[in-house]
Amino acid sequence: MSAHDTIDQQVKTHAVVLYMKGSPDFPQCGFSANAVKILKACGVNDIFSVDILQDPEIRQGIKDYSNWPTVPQLYIKGEFVGGSDIMTEMYKNGELKTLLA
Amino acid sequence: MVSPEDIKQYIEAGLACQEVKVSGDGQHFEAIIVCDQFAGKSRVAQHQLVYNALGDRMRQEIHALSMRTLTPEQWAALRSQ
Repeated sequence: MSAHDTIDQQVKTHAVVLYMKGSPDFPQCGFSANAVKILKACGVNDIFSVDILQDPEIRQGIKDYSNWPTVPQLYIKGEFVGGSDIMTEMYKNGELKTLLA
Repeated sequence: MVSPEDIKQYIEAGLACQEVKVSGDGQHFEAIIVCDQFAGKSRVAQHQLVYNALGDRMRQEIHALSMRTLTPEQWAALRSQ
């Protein structure tokens, strides 16, 4: 399966998917740690996360999939929501919680 | 090493902005970008406009860029607060 197909399947199978560096318990980057913190604050406890450091094809593939050059990337119900900055903004104004409901 | 001023110039070269402010230490940068083309676009689409302006530099030279995108109206409202 191509990286594109793998990602497509992941984001369509799971309601909330976070592509990140490291794992929710051990994030390897401050932005990824911030993304996990926000999701937990919104009550998402079982985050389906993908560690892009473990897979070079996904690491490149996720950037092409969303036309977005950075990680973390959050997907909710198959839709690309944004990276760390957008998550922070949407968390502060309550939009993220609404989207996750 | 990339300076905040470099990043400001890269963004302005690729996107007609009303205002760009960048700060940072050469590794991590923070930017406020004000552009009338953001009007009516989602945040993802707004950030994509900036990323497109930065092009390959975003993949190669710039490690981390936090950005806040605003329309001129949003920027004016923010400053008057």
